Amino acid sequence: MTAWRYLTEDDVGAAAGLAADEALMHAHARDRDTAPPVLRLYTYASHAALCGRYQHLEAEIDVDACARTGTAFNRRPTGGGAIVMGEGQLGVAVVTRAPSGDRPKSVLVRFSTGIVAGLARLGIDASFGGKNDLKVEGRKIAGLGLYLDGEGGLLFHASVLADLDVAFMLDVLDIPAAKLGERAVAAVNERVTTVSRETGEPWTGASLRDVIAQGFSDALGVMLEPSGPSGEERVRAERLAADKYASDEWLFHRSPHPDATATALLKTPAGLVRLYLALSGDVIKSALFAGDFNEIPAPLAAFEAGLKWQRLDAATLTGLAAVACPDGTLDVAPDAIVDLVLEAGDRALTRDRAAPARDGSCYFPENDVAAAVRAEVPR
Amino acid sequence: MAKLTVDGFVVRDDLAYDLEHHMWVEELGSGVVRIGMDALGLETSGTLAQLSFEPAEFDVDRGAAFGSLEAEKFVGPLIAPVSGRILAINEAALEHPGIVQADPYGAGWLIEVRAHRLDEERDRLLQGAEEIHSSFSAKIREYRVEGVLSE
Repeated sequence: MTAWRYLTEDDVGAAAGLAADEALMHAHARDRDTAPPVLRLYTYASHAALCGRYQHLEAEIDVDACARTGTAFNRRPTGGGAIVMGEGQLGVAVVTRAPSGDRPKSVLVRFSTGIVAGLARLGIDASFGGKNDLKVEGRKIAGLGLYLDGEGGLLFHASVLADLDVAFMLDVLDIPAAKLGERAVAAVNERVTTVSRETGEPWTGASLRDVIAQGFSDALGVMLEPSGPSGEERVRAERLAADKYASDEWLFHRSPHPDATATALLKTPAGLVRLYLALSGDVIKSALFAGDFNEIPAPLAAFEAGLKWQRLDAATLTGLAAVACPDGTLDVAPDAIVDLVLEAGDRALTRDRAAPARDGSCYFPENDVAAAVRAEVPR
Repeated sequence: MAKLTVDGFVVRDDLAYDLEHHMWVEELGSGVVRIGMDALGLETSGTLAQLSFEPAEFDVDRGAAFGSLEAEKFVGPLIAPVSGRILAINEAALEHPGIVQADPYGAGWLIEVRAHRLDEERDRLLQGAEEIHSSFSAKIREYRVEGVLSE
């Protein structure tokens, strides 16, 4: 049985937590002797808002709300959308040498089996789904990310939702609850679940840790040997926290392709449907349909889930709609839903990008709903 | 230029490949090479959202990063298949990463490099129509078994 180093920590600061993961990668560079893989299961001090590697932090995270609530913010080395971390979420980091010849998806699936096995011990049937998520009956319970450095190190990241304060998340991730009120919370709850919700018992990231550790041991056939960071790793982590993760250059990095958001409306026989769309360049980073329905229809939910990471392209979207909602939804044809996406996308792409945009999270993009409604609702 | 289709993936048999990192190399003459990503590497990375390159005049070693990418499945380095000094970067690809996926062997090239050790490093690349076909075919089969590619 292969031995892995097993590190645990709680109440970690945002910069320190991210720096500690990156510091562990150095021992796995391809020009160094082989080192045992590392599993680090930890929680952040409540709370930290973390955006993805190439996102614009100020567009994803409401820094004023962070100041008001004492929430730290930072940028992950992994991609994807903004998340909140705190005592309710378990941070998972696997650090090892990037396996030669393996493609990213196989790495993501392999390491996610540890989380799946852990959740299964609680009777939760999670599986790899969506783009980079673990889902339970279509609802996200963990987000996954993968970062390969230029030296040969690999960092697998996951955020497991033991619990989640949705209203708080909507507050700090720049989604003004005042605009959509309870509907925003309900919309997130339709798409996200937690261990607490699935089991009916309260869980925290720390209380979930042993279960997930056992899951890794079972699924990957590894022996976890309790460990701590070496002296070199501590020094490296402190330097990374100060020089990189606390620097404005890292925090407020602007990528070549700014994120842009927009909404569009469609009047259907079943009522109004609003689409909230977030793009990175011409790639859809998040999409959410809301409207005059209590629960999103299954075909529309399937189409929405498939939109993430698609390019804003009519042929691509038409192909997706043909699979996800071949008979249409809400009494409209698939083409109408595709046109709605293209309309929102065109609006986002033509928006003045010099102006600060209010983006949403990986769960829920948001924009100027009122303006869209004024512009488009038939009178 | 001859394009082959190997199990649904287009490859050019006049290029040389670093199949581990899914990079291709085209010799432009006078020791200058153009570098790009192959279609199989792009497919297994997922949608490409962001690219960044080291600047012109940057010296890169074979096996080291000359840039980075954010794709659907990961954030990671672009690994140089040969050593050399960057002469040009494809600004169009930086601006519109979608062209890398739409035309990986043409308009979607990444950088041009004045190679430092081409004679020595060329032999470590995959070359020749037969070898390219058989190696890509084997790699595609491997990825399908792993579930990285759909059947």
